[in-house]
Amino acid sequence: MECSTGNQAVRRFRYRCYASAALVILFAFVAAASFRLLHLHGVVAYLVAVLPALPILWALIAVGQYLREETDEFQRALHIEYLLWGIGGTLAVTTVWGYLEDFVQVRRFDLIYVYPIFWLFVAIAMPVVRRRYR
Amino acid sequence: MKNRLKVLRAERDWSQADLAARLEVSRQSVNAIETGKFDPSLPLAFKLARLFARPIEEIFEDGEP
Repeated sequence: MECSTGNQAVRRFRYRCYASAALVILFAFVAAASFRLLHLHGVVAYLVAVLPALPILWALIAVGQYLREETDEFQRALHIEYLLWGIGGTLAVTTVWGYLEDFVQVRRFDLIYVYPIFWLFVAIAMPVVRRRYR
Repeated sequence: MKNRLKVLRAERDWSQADLAARLEVSRQSVNAIETGKFDPSLPLAFKLARLFARPIEEIFEDGEP
């Protein structure tokens, strides 16, 4: 999310986001290599498969932590509004796509794209929402 | 909500950034409150009242008859 106050909460949130992004990439490589080289199966396969999702869950928790730690109520309200746009946009796209899949057999939507779509809507919302408060 | 922040700030020759620093919020927050686009919470309204040494109702108008 956009960070304009430069306060401690923002710095911590940025650090958690960058660390999470780095871990997603690392864990995705580890998972892909493990499945290719070790031919995993059973419980281990499930555990390795969800490995790249763990930093994403951490990033979502970091969003909650940021909202709790942000002392500037206006910034907090702005970020909540960005997140609502992200949630609303993601729900809209996935719901419409779901019906299209059911009735007109469009290409199956890979759930792995839900998370980036959410952040895409958050990113789109940022300048739009900010412009209202200029 | 209408308010007199801009006037009170001008009386003290404070910029939005000065007021923001005193309130420990961002300059954007001060701007949003000053322009009536964002209503502060009660704790922040009390903080403003203490800072300007005025009752809250002298700073903010509720706009209701």
